[in-house]
Amino acid sequence: MRRIVVFISICLGLAALTARATHTHVQLLLSADTAKPGDTIWAGLDMKMDAGWHTYWKNPGDSGIATTIKWDLPPGVTAGEIQWPLPEKLPPAEVTTYGYENEVMLLVPLTLATNLPPGPLVLKADVAWLECQEQCVPGKTNVEATLNVGGETKNSADEEANELWKQKVPITRDVKYQAWWESTTNGDSRPLIIGGPSQEADKNLKYDSIDFFPGASDLFEIESKTEVIDLHSATLALRKIVKRFSGDWPKEISGVLVCQLGNSSIGYELKLPVSDQPPTDAITAVASATPAPSTQPSPSFWQMLLYAFIGGLILNLMPCVLPVIALKILGFVSEANSEPRRVRKLGLIYALGVLVSFLTLAAVVVGVKAAGHHAGWGMQFGSPVFIVCLTTLVTLVALNLFGVFEVTLGGRALDTAGELASKHGAAGAFFNGVLATILATPCTAPFLGAALGFAFAQSAPVIVLIFLTVGLGLASPYVVLSWNPAWLKFLPKPGAWMEKFKIAMGFPMLATVVWLFNVAASSYGKNVLWLGIFLVVVALAAWIFGEFFQRGRKHKTVAAIITLILLSGGYVFALEKQLDWRAPFVETGSTDSLKESADGIDWQRWSPEAVATARAAGKPVLVDFTADWCLTCQVNKKTSIEIPSVREKLKAMNAVTLLGDYTHFPDAITTELNRYSRAGVPLILVYPKNPDAQPIVLPEVLTPGMVLNALDQASN
Amino acid sequence: MKKILALFTTLALAASSFAVEIGKPAPDFTGTDINGKTVKLSDYKGKIVVIESYNSDCPFCHNHYATGAMQELQRDLAAKGVVWLLVDSVNTKNFSYRTPEQARKESADLKIAANAWIDDHSGEIGHLYDMKTTPHCFVIAADGTLVYDGAIDDRPSPSGDPRTAKNYVRAAVDELLAGKPVTVSETKPYGCGVHYAN
Repeated sequence: MRRIVVFISICLGLAALTARATHTHVQLLLSADTAKPGDTIWAGLDMKMDAGWHTYWKNPGDSGIATTIKWDLPPGVTAGEIQWPLPEKLPPAEVTTYGYENEVMLLVPLTLATNLPPGPLVLKADVAWLECQEQCVPGKTNVEATLNVGGETKNSADEEANELWKQKVPITRDVKYQAWWESTTNGDSRPLIIGGPSQEADKNLKYDSIDFFPGASDLFEIESKTEVIDLHSATLALRKIVKRFSGDWPKEISGVLVCQLGNSSIGYELKLPVSDQPPTDAITAVASATPAPSTQPSPSFWQMLLYAFIGGLILNLMPCVLPVIALKILGFVSEANSEPRRVRKLGLIYALGVLVSFLTLAAVVVGVKAAGHHAGWGMQFGSPVFIVCLTTLVTLVALNLFGVFEVTLGGRALDTAGELASKHGAAGAFFNGVLATILATPCTAPFLGAALGFAFAQSAPVIVLIFLTVGLGLASPYVVLSWNPAWLKFLPKPGAWMEKFKIAMGFPMLATVVWLFNVAASSYGKNVLWLGIFLVVVALAAWIFGEFFQRGRKHKTVAAIITLILLSGGYVFALEKQLDWRAPFVETGSTDSLKESADGIDWQRWSPEAVATARAAGKPVLVDFTADWCLTCQVNKKTSIEIPSVREKLKAMNAVTLLGDYTHFPDAITTELNRYSRAGVPLILVYPKNPDAQPIVLPEVLTPGMVLNALDQASN
Repeated sequence: MKKILALFTTLALAASSFAVEIGKPAPDFTGTDINGKTVKLSDYKGKIVVIESYNSDCPFCHNHYATGAMQELQRDLAAKGVVWLLVDSVNTKNFSYRTPEQARKESADLKIAANAWIDDHSGEIGHLYDMKTTPHCFVIAADGTLVYDGAIDDRPSPSGDPRTAKNYVRAAVDELLAGKPVTVSETKPYGCGVHYAN
C-alpha cells in the first residue's frame, strides 16, 4: 500500500515539476513573412523569462543546461548553428553560470533551397531549456511558424527585433589576442594567460572592465574566475584556470572576450591557439603585430596628477591669465606691508575661488559625460554668446588697468577701512580665482592636455580629482606667497612703478581682446564689425563713468545716466539688431580647399572617410585637428607645419593633408579626440603609407624636427 | 606593487592546490547526519566511499530518484561493501532546505539506500570539495585517495531513465574493485547549482 502511495506522490511531484515550467514564454519569430528560394532568413527563438528566472548560454557555466533546439523542417529548409547573444555572468561566485535574464532571442539562420516551390511552409521545433531561480525547472515546448515561399523576400514585423538581437551576438573581429600557459602543473588545474593589446594600444577597443567567457568543452573546463593582470599599460592580460578532465591539455581555446563599457557590453569571438611558452616579450609580441604608436606612454595615475599640478602652475604664465594674476601680485605687494594675516586669508580664498571653479567645471564635465555627449575642454568657448560676454569683460578689465575707471574687482585701490575692506577683499580674492579659471580654459598647455585626456576617460571621482589638482597648481604660487610673506621681500617694494606695471598689464589684456575678437569672427563673420563698435561704445561709457561719475564732483547723476544710455543703446543697436548676437550666422562654407596662402599646404576637410580613402590609395596622411581659439595650435602651425621644409616633404611624399576644424566642437572630432585620450586640440596624426599600420600621434607642442621625423617614418 | 601582486598570486595558486585533486588524499571532514550522529570520512578508512551532493528539488537529482535508478545503484554498491554518503549543502533559507525531520521522512519515502545523509547546511563540506552541482559525485578509494570527481553519468537530462546512461560512479567502483586504474577520473558535473549560504 505504501509503495503505491509513494509511487503516486512521486508521479504527482513529477507532474507538478513539469506544470510549473511556465516561467519562460517561448515563441518563434521569423525575420521574413515571405522568402525567395535560395535566400537565408533568420529564425528568432524569443524566450521571455519571468522576473528572477534565467536560462542558459551555450556554455552554461558551473551548473545549468544550455537551451537546445531540435528542428522539424520541411525538405529544402536547412537550419544553421544557433547564434547566441552575449550572456551575462550570473552569481554566485562559487557556482558561476552564463545565462540570460528577462529576455533573449536565440538566432538561427534558415536557408531555403533554390528549387523550393512557392507556397506556405510550416517550420517546427522542439525547444528544451532549464529555467532557474531559487530552484530549477526544466522547460519543454513546441514552437512553430509559417513562412511563405515566394518571388521576393519580404521582412516581417519581427525583423527589427531580430536585428536588435543579432547585434548582441559576439562578432569575430581581428582582435589581436594570444593565449599561453603561465606554468606547468602536475595536477589537473593549470593557469592560462590570455593577453593582447589594451585599449591604450588598440584604438578600436574600449572598456571599463574586460572578461573572457569560455566556450563549452567535454575534455576541459575554463573556470569562471578572471584575474586581470597588468603586464604593461599597452597590454592587457587575463589569467584563467583551466581544469582538465581527460586527454591532453587543450591546444586551442575558444570563447568570447567581453568588453564592458558603462551599462553595455560587446563580445568578440576568439579562437586562440595555446602555446606552451609566453611570447618572447609580451609587449613586443603584441607590438610587432601592431606597430607601437609613437606617442608618450600612458602614465600612471600619480604621474597624471603631477602633470595636472604642473599644468596648473604653468597656466599662471598663459597670456590670457597672466594679467589677471599680475593684478593679484599688486594686491599682495600693497597688503603685505600692512596686514600679513589678511594676506594669508586672501591667498586661501583665492585658492578657494579657483578650486570651486574647477569643481564646477568638473561637475559640468561629469554631467555632460553622463548625458552621453563627449565633453571637450574649452567647450565653454563654443558658445558665441559666451565669447561676446568674455570679450566685453576683458575690454573692461583692460580699460580698468589703463586707469580709465576703477573697479573693486582686481585692481583695488589701497583701502585701509577695516571690515569693509576685508569683505571686499575676500569677495575680490574669490572672484579673482574664478576669473583666473575662466580665462585659463582655452589655453590647454601640453601637460594639462595629457592630464585632461586621461581624466576624461576616467570615472567621475577621478575627473573631479584631476580638475582639483590643476586648480591647486594654478592657485599654489599665491597661497605659498600668502603664507610666507617673508618671500614677498623677493617681490619688489611698492612704489610708483606699480602704477606703470598696472597700465602695462593692460596691453596683454588688449591682445586677448583682439584674439577673442578673432574667435568671435568665426561665429559672426563680417558682422563682427558690430561687436567692435559695441566695444568702442563700452569704452566710451567706461570713460564717462570713470571721469565724471567716479572722479568727478558735479553732475554725477547726469554722468551715470549717460553711461547707462550708452551701454543700453550700444547693446540694443549693435548687439541685438545689427549683430543678432544670440543667433549668429555660422559659416557653412564647404570650400574643399582650406589653403591658408598661395603657397600654403593644400588642406582638405577632415572626415573619417577621407582618411580611409587616402589610406586605401596607399597614401600617407597628415591630420591636423585645430581650432581658431587654440593658441598652441596656431603656434604649431606657424613654427612646425606651414614651413617650407614640411611643405616640400609633404609634396614629395604625395601625402594627403586633412584639417579638422574644432572651433565649433563638431561631435565627429570630439569622438576622434577621445579615441586618442585627448580632451581638446591640438592633435596631430601622421598615418603611414602602409594601410595596416597605426597612426603616429605627435606631441601637443611641435618642433619642425618632430614633424619631419614622423613624415619620414610614415613614408617607409 | 608588483611584489605584492606576485605574493598574492603565489598564495592564491597555493591555496587552490589545497582543493580536492585526483590522485591526492581526499580531505577529511566531520558532519552531522539527519539522525544527529557525527559522521567522519576517516570513519570509513579502508572502504571505498562514494559522496553525492544531493538536492531532490533539482530536476536532475529528482529524476535519478524518481526512476529508482539512484537507489538501485546505492544498493548494488552497498552489496559490494561501498559506503555511500549524501551531502546536502542547501542553506537553511533556501526553498529546498530540509529540516532533519523532513529529511528523515524523505529518506524513508524515497527509500534512499545511503549510509548517511549529512546535513551540511553551512556548506563547509560542499566548499571543501568544491561541489558545484547536484548531483556532483566523488569516489574515494579504500586508501583514501580521490579517484573520481564529476558527473554521475554522461546523460545530463531531467527526464528519461538514467540506467541507459554510462554511469561514471559505477565504472570507477568496478575498476577499483578489479584492481584496475580508474579510466575516467574527472568529468564536468551537471545539474543545478548548489544553494550555498551567502
